[in-house]
Amino acid sequence: MKNYPIWKSFTVVSLVLLGIIFAIPSIIYDENSENWFLKNKINLGLDLQGGSYLLLEVQLDVLYKEELDNFVDSVRLISRDQAVKIEKIDIQENEVLVFFANKDKIKDIRDSFFQMYRGVSLQISNNRLSIKLNDEYRKIIQDSAIKQSLEIVRKRIDESGTKEPLIQRSGKKRILLQLPGVKDPERIKDLLGKTAKLTFHIVDNDNTSALQNNLAPFGKIIVPDMYDENTKYLLDKRAVVGGENLVDAKGSFDQTEGHAVSFRFDTEGAQKFGKVTTNNIGKNLAVVLDGVVITAPRISSAITGGSGIITGNFNAQEASDLAVLLRAGALPAPLEIVEERSVGAGLGADSIAAGQIAAIIGMVLVCIFMILIYGTFGALANVSLIVNLFIIISLLGAIGATLTLPGIAGIVLTIGMAVDANVLIFERIKEESLKQTKVFQIVKNGFDRAMSTILDANITTLIAAVLLFAFGSGPIRGFSITLSLGVIASMFTALMLTNFLVYMYLSFANKKELKL
Amino acid sequence: MFGLNKIIPVEPNINFLGLRRNFLILSILAIFISIGLLSIKGLNLGIDFKGGTLIEVSTKNTSIGELREILSSSYSDVSLQEFGNENIILIRLQNKSNQESIETVNSVKNLIQDKVVEFRRSEFVGPTISSELLFRGFQAVSFALIAILIYIWLRFEWQFGFGAVVALTHDVLFTLGLLSILNVEFSLATIAAILTIAGYSINDTVVIFDRVRENLRKYKKLELVDLFNLSVNNTLSRTIMTSLTTLLALVSLFIFGGEVIRPFALTMIIGVIIGTYSSVFIAVPTLLIFKFRPQDEND
Repeated sequence: MKNYPIWKSFTVVSLVLLGIIFAIPSIIYDENSENWFLKNKINLGLDLQGGSYLLLEVQLDVLYKEELDNFVDSVRLISRDQAVKIEKIDIQENEVLVFFANKDKIKDIRDSFFQMYRGVSLQISNNRLSIKLNDEYRKIIQDSAIKQSLEIVRKRIDESGTKEPLIQRSGKKRILLQLPGVKDPERIKDLLGKTAKLTFHIVDNDNTSALQNNLAPFGKIIVPDMYDENTKYLLDKRAVVGGENLVDAKGSFDQTEGHAVSFRFDTEGAQKFGKVTTNNIGKNLAVVLDGVVITAPRISSAITGGSGIITGNFNAQEASDLAVLLRAGALPAPLEIVEERSVGAGLGADSIAAGQIAAIIGMVLVCIFMILIYGTFGALANVSLIVNLFIIISLLGAIGATLTLPGIAGIVLTIGMAVDANVLIFERIKEESLKQTKVFQIVKNGFDRAMSTILDANITTLIAAVLLFAFGSGPIRGFSITLSLGVIASMFTALMLTNFLVYMYLSFANKKELKL
Repeated sequence: MFGLNKIIPVEPNINFLGLRRNFLILSILAIFISIGLLSIKGLNLGIDFKGGTLIEVSTKNTSIGELREILSSSYSDVSLQEFGNENIILIRLQNKSNQESIETVNSVKNLIQDKVVEFRRSEFVGPTISSELLFRGFQAVSFALIAILIYIWLRFEWQFGFGAVVALTHDVLFTLGLLSILNVEFSLATIAAILTIAGYSINDTVVIFDRVRENLRKYKKLELVDLFNLSVNNTLSRTIMTSLTTLLALVSLFIFGGEVIRPFALTMIIGVIIGTYSSVFIAVPTLLIFKFRPQDEND
């Protein structure tokens, strides 16, 4: 072999072999294989294997508003302790303005308040105290809410039996979920759509005028019934005990009550619950879930065992889902689904099949075309093209990239574009062959002259692909990955493999002249 | 063997630049029509950018008409479309809010449950997300154009960068115009296609510019028009070959790749044709605005 260094042949051959070997796991594609080698296969995106992608947004505004309400309650309690009368409370979008009857103790009130809520902006002007929800304080609320939400979402998803979910924070106030293989996305969405804040409140049956006027006095709230919006209850605002004290909950069935959820409190919860039920025999106890009363049975005797059941008009699924929600705990704020993409396994399989056919037919067409145009050289370029495909597949498997439907499109496109580098080289060789007759010199010049053009042309394509990756999301990133890998692999196969093959061919065929 | 490449002569001598005025007029016309179409008719925005709900179902013993009847009694803004074959139906709904979507999907599913074999996919994009996606798509395309301009500027002289970006802008606008006429759905995948077209078109342009630069050094005395013509002719068979192989792959994707990917493949096919055209008839003639020669003589 003339002019061809051994080290170069060795490098080319070993890279090609590596490319082919590492494509094997993805081609065999044994989903459950534990073999260390076969595990290096391409991950299929949700659009190909079926599953759900969900983007949830934590409703922080609800939390901010809740916090302002907390400010009001706290400032009322503090001023009651200090025996200062409040003239007026003005709740604005971002702050609470409290007007006191006199300004004597306003500084003390401010300091006590600050003990409770470190970080809020407090300002006094004359008899007015302004409590402001500033950016830092909002950020504290935001971060803890997202962290908590992530944890709860994770628990709920785990409980729902989804395998290998991906759950992560996305941006400031969003949570991204990828749930492969989910068959019933509606149920998952139902599970995530509920805050599941469970509280127990004593019902106030004495103050009937409050209900008629729909105006709750201080320390009370009006809550509608779950099944009938027009039935309303007046409840103590303070919850006797809440879902945070639950240690267990499960769906149960009772001959008289039908489907229900049975629950158990921790020690603290059991104590509180026992005390309240002992002191309030004869009154009703409302079970409130996410702002509606599920049931409000009469307390007939003290419940000290720390366990109980919640009845409602549940069916089996509803009861067991409620149990899941109670076990996982309440979300700090409601979650809103802002984006959903669910694909059934059927469509995914169809897409893979269609993609494979398109790739194979595209490949065959391009190969035939190359042979028609360039003859033997075309055949050599085809070897490079096929190796190129293997390399893309093995790189995808090796870096653990996810193959999506647009990703398949990227591969098919690459098949068409990858021959470009070969074409550039062959055209140069053609031109060189008109200038001189030394076969190896022609080939060498052809490759050398084409080199800078190939680099320039491919780098511009790479720029577009990289930007697509930076700004794109999900499936589109899959496209930019396969396109980038394809472009890089095509430069290697053209400049090294085709080069090697051409030299080999010319050496063995012992060509004395070159007509392309 | 065959060696059909001899069909294209090794040194073709076609006077491309002589035709530049005709093609320039053609392109300017096309751009104006495109801009007009985009501002009057607009693009057929998919749910990615418009927001809303999309459900794809495979059905049995029913027709699109029957399903439409069932659904339109509950929803005024429902639209149905056969997708690939008559048993696969695409249902689109506009939702006003995020909350509504969950209920919508559920109730649509309940309404047509007994006619459906499989719910193949359901997608929902909320109003905040769709505007974010549109903004980011716009950002990606703009940054790509700027990045490519900078790259060309660094590798060539700035005049080449100018020519390349004129050609690119032409390609993007022209393609969008055709998408508007053909009513092709404009989705995230279309943005990806447009960026790839930008990459492809510039690739094509760069190959010709490379040759222009080489010839500028080689033939100091040649008239610029002749030099450009020579460069285009030198690279002609490569330009044609690469476009054809790319188109072969894309046509295969268009025909066999499945319904979901078809708008992407169609956009790419349009773009590759326009990109190839613009490299020869827009990018190179734009260079004529600049006088390369006097500078060269000063060297």
